[in-house]
Amino acid sequence: MRPKRAPFFTTLGGGGEGGLHTTGAKWFMIESQRHSYHLVDPSPWPISGSLGALATTVGGVMYMHPFQGGATLLSLGLIFILYTMFVWWRDVLRESTLEGHHTKAVQLGPRYGSILFIVSEVMFLFAFFWASSHSSLAPTVEIGGIWPPKGIGVLDPREIPFLNTPILPSSGAAVTWAHHAILAGKEKRAVYALVATVSLALVSTGFQGMEYYQAPSTISDSIYGSTFFSATGFHGFHVIIGTLFLIICGIRQYLGHLTKEHHVGFEAAAWYWHFVDVVRLFPFVSIYWWGGI
Amino acid sequence: MATSMARSGLQVAAAALRAEAKSGARPVLPNKRNFSASAHHDDAYETAKWEKITYAGIVTCTVLSIYNLSKGHHHLPEPPPYPYLRIRNKEFPWGMSPNIFTAC
Repeated sequence: MRPKRAPFFTTLGGGGEGGLHTTGAKWFMIESQRHSYHLVDPSPWPISGSLGALATTVGGVMYMHPFQGGATLLSLGLIFILYTMFVWWRDVLRESTLEGHHTKAVQLGPRYGSILFIVSEVMFLFAFFWASSHSSLAPTVEIGGIWPPKGIGVLDPREIPFLNTPILPSSGAAVTWAHHAILAGKEKRAVYALVATVSLALVSTGFQGMEYYQAPSTISDSIYGSTFFSATGFHGFHVIIGTLFLIICGIRQYLGHLTKEHHVGFEAAAWYWHFVDVVRLFPFVSIYWWGGI
Repeated sequence: MATSMARSGLQVAAAALRAEAKSGARPVLPNKRNFSASAHHDDAYETAKWEKITYAGIVTCTVLSIYNLSKGHHHLPEPPPYPYLRIRNKEFPWGMSPNIFTAC
C-alpha cells in the first residue's frame, strides 16, 4: 500500500498529480523530479532472494550427501527463489507501466544489462564447446584413440538432430515478425506471432526430450556422454528459459503493456531468443554431425 | 572511379550549399535514420514479410517432421562392457536406471 502524500507537499505549492515523487520519504523531491532517473523504493526482495539461494545451495549439498532433510531444504529454497523472482519482476513491471518510472535514461540500464548477460551466456556455452572439441580433436588412448569413443552408440545426425535444427531459426523468424508487429502498432498480430514463436519453441523442446529418451548413451558413458549431454542439455535449458521469457512477453503484449516506443522487456527476450537459436547451429555442426559420424 | 564519385558528391554538396545561401532557407533534414537497418521499409511491410517467412519455416519443419517420424529409427546393438561405459558409482535419486521414466 503506497503511503498518502504528506501534507507539506500542498503547503509548499505542490499538489496536482503531475509529479513523479512517490513516497513520503522522498519529501525533498517536492514539486517534480528534475532528472530522468528512477530512485527505487526500499525492497525486501534482495534479502529474500539471498536467503532462498542460501537454502538452495545448503539443501542441494545436503541432498547430494547422506544428510536428513536435504530434499526439503532444497525444495524450500527453490520455492523461495521462484517466489522472489515473481514478486521482484512484478514490482519492476508496476514501476514501469503504472508508475512510469522507466524513462529513456532508465531503459538504458536493462538494455546494457541484457546485452552483458547474453555475452556472459555466450562465454558459458563456449566453455562446453571447448570441452567437447578438446576431447574429440585428440581422443585419448583410454577411449580407444577414436571419436566417438569405442563402444559408444551415437545418434544419427540426419534424424531428430537435423529435424530439430530448423525449428529454432523458424521460431527466431516468428519473434522478428512479433517485433515488427509491435513497431507497426499491430497489437493482435504481435500476440499471434508470439504464440507461433512459443509453439515452435515447445515443439523443439519436445523433440529434444524425445531425442534424449531414445539416445543410445547416457551422461555417464565416457567423456562423450559427459560433453554431449552437458553441451546439448545446457542449450536445451536455455531454450526453456527463453520460452518462459517469451510467454511472459506474450502475456504482457496481450495485456497491452508493450507500446511502439517502449518494449524493453520484449527486446531483451528477442535478443536472448536469437542467441539461443543461433547457438543451436554450433552443437548441430560440431557435436551431432562432425562428432557423430 | 572512387575519386570521380567523391568529386561529383562534393559538387552536388557545393551546389546545394550555394542554393541554400541564395535562398537563405535552412536545410530541411529528414527525420529518418538512413543508416539504420530498417530505414528503407516501413514496419507494416516488414511485419507482412516476416509473417510469410515464419509460415515458410513452419511448413518446412512440418514436412521434415512427417518425413522423419514416418521413417522410424534403428536400434544399435549393446556395446561390450568397456570400463569407461555405464559408470555407476551411486544411485540416481530414482534408482539405478539412468532413465527416470523406466525406473522401477
